[in-house]
Amino acid sequence: MKTLADLKKIREKAQEDMKLRGGNVRIKIVVGMGTSGIAMGAREVMKTFLEEIAARNLTDVMVTQTGEKGLSSMEPVVDLIEEGKPKVTYGNMNPDKVKKVVVEHIVNGRVVSDYVVATGN
Amino acid sequence: MQDISLHLLDIIENSVRAEARTIKVRVVNNISKNRLRIIVEDDGTGMDAHTLERAQDPFYTSKEERVKKVGLGIPLFKQNAELVGGSFKMASEPGFGTVLTVDFTLDHIDRMPLGNLKDTLLGSIIGHPEVDFFIHLIYRDRATEQCFHFDTKAIREELGDIPLTYPDVIEYIDQSLLEGIQNTNMEDV
Repeated sequence: MKTLADLKKIREKAQEDMKLRGGNVRIKIVVGMGTSGIAMGAREVMKTFLEEIAARNLTDVMVTQTGEKGLSSMEPVVDLIEEGKPKVTYGNMNPDKVKKVVVEHIVNGRVVSDYVVATGN
Repeated sequence: MQDISLHLLDIIENSVRAEARTIKVRVVNNISKNRLRIIVEDDGTGMDAHTLERAQDPFYTSKEERVKKVGLGIPLFKQNAELVGGSFKMASEPGFGTVLTVDFTLDHIDRMPLGNLKDTLLGSIIGHPEVDFFIHLIYRDRATEQCFHFDTKAIREELGDIPLTYPDVIEYIDQSLLEGIQNTNMEDV
């Protein structure tokens, strides 16, 4: 059974971590979670990002959910926002594409242009 | 939508868009009453009587930027409940929030499955760190009652400035939800 004592341990470990590298968020991932996105598999896309973050121990990435933004025909849609760089929007996402984006874009810093449907603001 | 927990995700997103700070989700699997009940309660902006009625109309949306005026989330959920002898109720008060109660007949052959409740809750909790979630899962049989409570406010207080997207925290929440879902027999409803 998971208890709040487990969280205390996690907090201590995370605080050590943050002392070493600072608490900055390097990349923000925003998953479109409107009705059409959900119907097209956005929940699985979100879940795969979370799994990959946990499995690869990515501590400088943040994931949030948002409503849809008028790209219904390309759902599920995901924005990757990095400071000082134009926003990259990936469309027609699925768990396999998410894994590729995590490795290529988030870890290695190379945009996966095949999946990009929009850039900039 | 293929299952009830996808509808639930859609409803939670509505609450977030209504600027809710607290969202309470209750799922009751009541074997003796042959009923699966979902309740979502938020403290968002709420709706007046007119808007509340229109929210159940598929050709109404509150999204002003939308060109085609459709909003299918609520009408589809309502339809899927009513088609299997269930019910759909929505109550709201401007400035206070909205409560939605949806019932499904448990053993109806056409009832959609509950689906992956864990991933719906996990994504919502981590994807909206600004919102407090109170999750309450209940299994009721003639002889037994099993409950699971999950309160993200307590977790956030314990974590301090550590974000919910910290890898170990994701695993912690994932595991906790999994245990709760197993203990209340909600894996395969």
